Amino acid sequence: MRTFQRLQSSKWLMLLLVPVCTLLLFTSCTKKSEERPDPIRYRLKWLFNTSVVGDLWAEEKGLFEREGLIVEVKPGGPEKDAIKELELGHAQFGVASADMVIRAVSKGSPVAVIAQLFQTNPLQWIYRPGETEIKTPEDLRGKVIGVTFGGNDEAILRALLAKYGILEEEVELFSVRYDYTPFYERRVDLWPVYRNAQGIIIKEKLEGAGERAAFFDPHRAGVPFVANSVVTTKEMLQKSPEIVEKFTKALLAGWEASMAPESGAEAIALIHRFDPDTPLNQIEQQYAITKRMVKPSADFPVGTIDRAAWQMTEQIMVEQGLIPGAVGVARALAPVISR
Amino acid sequence: MKIEFRDVTYRYPETDILIFQSLDATIEGAGFHALFGPSGVGKTTLARLIADRSLPFSGKIETPGIRTILYTYHTERIPGWATVESHLKHLVLPSQEELLSKLISVLGLENHLGSRFRQLSMGQQNRVNLARYLLQDFDLLIMDESLANVDEATRERIILEIKEIFTGRSFLYISHNVAEVARFCKEILVIRGRGKRPQTLCLQGQDNTRKDDPDRVRLEKTMLEIVHAA
Amino acid sequence: MLHRRLYQFLLVYTLGLGLLLSFKYLLDLSDYVIPGVQDIRKAATSVFFRYLMDTLDTLSVAVVGHLIAILMAGIVGIIGRSASWSGAFIRAAAYNIQAYPIVAVAPIIFILFGDGMVSRLLIAAMICYFPLLLSFIGVFAEPVTDIEHFYTATGRMNWRLQIGIRAFENMAKLTTVITGSATLAMVGTIVAEFIAATAGIGHSIRIALYQSDLSKILVALFLIGIFNSLYLFLLEWIGKRIRVRLDPPTGGRGARRGRLILKGKEIRNPI
Repeated sequence: MRTFQRLQSSKWLMLLLVPVCTLLLFTSCTKKSEERPDPIRYRLKWLFNTSVVGDLWAEEKGLFEREGLIVEVKPGGPEKDAIKELELGHAQFGVASADMVIRAVSKGSPVAVIAQLFQTNPLQWIYRPGETEIKTPEDLRGKVIGVTFGGNDEAILRALLAKYGILEEEVELFSVRYDYTPFYERRVDLWPVYRNAQGIIIKEKLEGAGERAAFFDPHRAGVPFVANSVVTTKEMLQKSPEIVEKFTKALLAGWEASMAPESGAEAIALIHRFDPDTPLNQIEQQYAITKRMVKPSADFPVGTIDRAAWQMTEQIMVEQGLIPGAVGVARALAPVISR
Repeated sequence: MKIEFRDVTYRYPETDILIFQSLDATIEGAGFHALFGPSGVGKTTLARLIADRSLPFSGKIETPGIRTILYTYHTERIPGWATVESHLKHLVLPSQEELLSKLISVLGLENHLGSRFRQLSMGQQNRVNLARYLLQDFDLLIMDESLANVDEATRERIILEIKEIFTGRSFLYISHNVAEVARFCKEILVIRGRGKRPQTLCLQGQDNTRKDDPDRVRLEKTMLEIVHAA
Repeated sequence: MLHRRLYQFLLVYTLGLGLLLSFKYLLDLSDYVIPGVQDIRKAATSVFFRYLMDTLDTLSVAVVGHLIAILMAGIVGIIGRSASWSGAFIRAAAYNIQAYPIVAVAPIIFILFGDGMVSRLLIAAMICYFPLLLSFIGVFAEPVTDIEHFYTATGRMNWRLQIGIRAFENMAKLTTVITGSATLAMVGTIVAEFIAATAGIGHSIRIALYQSDLSKILVALFLIGIFNSLYLFLLEWIGKRIRVRLDPPTGGRGARRGRLILKGKEIRNPI
């Protein structure tokens, strides 16, 4: 009773204690997860779909276990940021886009890129070729172009416009959200999509309505903006190189196996199991396109880091004012498996 | 003018509490009548039954010669968005302005016209409320403790004035003041305590006016009759 | 009162910021996860004016949305107050519509009205409308028998007078809920801008989130808090003025002259 009274009388002490205890709790949780070797958490960038087929393959086929690792593959989402989770110790590996990595590096984050999954950025613009003719990037003049303000498609588009000397006044930028109605209603000429995801769905819808669909690929127009890559922390690289190596080896083996010609049907079935909402025929198409972007040729090793593309991406971001200055992203590139 | 209750039975909705069972009574003629009885015996309920026949009772309440019945009670309030004067003025036709002035004087409201209802004492509030009912076109006005919280001398003056101004109309005055009821009322319908039979008794009051000098002996006799009846 | 509102906000903001910075330095996190003081200062310098304009834009939409919500809740409250079948239907419909999360309803709004001002207004109004509606229905459906009896008994009662009486008698409750729902109007507008619009502070927050720039979001939160406090203060002040005008504590101008004076105009007694 006396203790209780004493506690009541020292409200200020309580006020101080609450945040301190919260901090300690937070710290202890974080440290615990950093020290604990198992399980390793791998945070994806998006939900389970075709873009993560190799990750799912590695997990489902027990490739991580074969390397002596217990890995939890966790789906991402719009509110998830793998790099932040790495720093906070909530994950040990993750998938992040190049612009996220470069932004993080520019702010002092100890992030390291250990493999580059997509060799071509799947972000493209869909349009109706009968009505909108885009033979060269210059044809973008006078068009209404959908763009996610703040997203990497804005950076890519602005880089593209700058590269071809197209002034912003010569195009009309239309703010894009999840709803494709403005494109269906022809209020927008070009709409940004992930070629290996919504691109297929929208194309199918247009074709179903008797229309044609084509894609404008900024990569082909000379703006190679790097997409998803596998990241970890520099601390992880230094303190547990063997775990990083085993993880990368298992992961890339999963990707290689899922991209192998003989694995097609099995990979598609695997994706469908994790993504039952997408019809099988669409997954088949998504898989085929993803394969081209991840493994452009039969002898191309999955995970290869395209240094030139990374430097170009950094340059674009500097030019677009998305980062205050050059950060030397090459220093963050740490390919684990050399071939 | 007549108020006639025939075989009236009433119980509170959704309860087994029987308030009136085969009640028979009659109050006859214009003037100032009273409804008297101990607390909780059903005076207000009976008054409401007279004013609102849609209430679920059995039997008959008939009021031949009475067209408009109004019921007022002592906790009524007036909206606070305007002054007492403003409220009262909006209730009268040009032809009633003289009556309004008279009532303001009778009820002693001259100094409160610029006030909001909320700013008045409870006795003042009751007088303001009564004023607006007296300005209405009614044949029977049921005054349920309408002069509560008003001092005795003022109450006496008001009742005597009302009787003088509204001759030919009927009032049913509900009060717990035996002397007041005995002295000023014409017929006194006493609702008796639970279990007593008959359930009501109708007594004659002194029905004093301003001109009459109260006869103490008769008054005391009437008061005793009322108390015994209740 | 304004001082108190601002102090309260600044205290909460400073505590929150302090806690964030404590995490940052305690866990040695980079500016990417939690921005440092220098980073926040830089962001504030670069975006303050733009965000200020955005916040004012959002506030103006929130104010209009709030007014629409008050109007909507008032109308539905008036219609829904009756015990009739239509009243019950309107009440049930109003409750059911609100049961849907705004993120589910928003796409329909955007399809119907596009991603411009109308959608922002509508979503802002929808988010703050429900608490208003509950109070309005509660107030308008509850008879003030001691006042209404006279008007009903004398055949003077009409729906406007009934609403007037019930609103006046519950003035304090109504002004409190209107003030309280103002924050929701601001939140609603920001949510709408975040989801779909191309203007306002919600849109700026969305871009900052895309760019993982927490320092800009902290600047935005600061401005939102300041302007929300100002708006709440303004509403409280207006509510107080209305209460004093309609029901002066000791007489007042209207009382002396024996009539209702509002904004210099004589309002005729609605009786």
